[in-house]
Amino acid sequence: MPLSVSLSIEGDTTVIELAGELDANTAPDFHQTIEKAAGHGTSTVEIRMAGVGYMASAGLRSLVFAQQKVAAHVTIKVVGAIEPVSRTIRTAGLDRSIVLSDE
Amino acid sequence: MGASPQHGARLSDPATTELHVPAVLGSLTAIAHFVRAVAVAAGLDRGAAYRLRLAVDELATNIVTHGYRGGEGRITVLGRAGAGRARIVLEDAAPEFDPVAGCLPPATDLPPERRRIGGLGIHLALTSVDEFGYVRREGRNISTLTVLAGPRPQR
Repeated sequence: MPLSVSLSIEGDTTVIELAGELDANTAPDFHQTIEKAAGHGTSTVEIRMAGVGYMASAGLRSLVFAQQKVAAHVTIKVVGAIEPVSRTIRTAGLDRSIVLSDE
Repeated sequence: MGASPQHGARLSDPATTELHVPAVLGSLTAIAHFVRAVAVAAGLDRGAAYRLRLAVDELATNIVTHGYRGGEGRITVLGRAGAGRARIVLEDAAPEFDPVAGCLPPATDLPPERRRIGGLGIHLALTSVDEFGYVRREGRNISTLTVLAGPRPQR
């Protein structure tokens, strides 16, 4: 299943909305969008993942990339991830630096 | 992670299904469909089916990117659905690679910018299944993954 990625700015937040499946085949699209988002200079990058039904470690790699690209004071939020996806994020320990939020 | 009694065996049961795909990332979708069908036939719940897919996906991705290193190759996927149990065997002819030996737990004590993500996919795979077996036979890597219906294994 393909991945759809959209990028928008809401106030001081850059919003990336994902829908579909995030694996090694589709993650490059997410990666490119992160690169654009990092250049916006907002204080928060919010990644809306409610529409993501599956995420492999390639998605984790993108989240780590996001952390590396944004300035230290920028908050990265992952919003609405389904339980198996948030569990994968926790398994990698990324919940220590990324804010996981239900809404 | 217990050893499977059919550790690395080629499945010969009549119920076994097979998929042969080129070792490219574009094959991941076909592999996912195949695994989903096996999970459904085995009566796995959504959580167990997700775990099986994640494990197979990570190992297949590893075969494509690190095994064949982008070169030509093929992956054979065998599936068998038993009552409350799904088993997938992945075979490839890339250089020898034992996922158990190549498993690197996440370095969660390091900040993200210093994090090494390589090996994490294998870690996810091995912690997602209930049984895992690997054998190198006749120049092929053969990994056997089994997931049981029911809650995630506690480790």
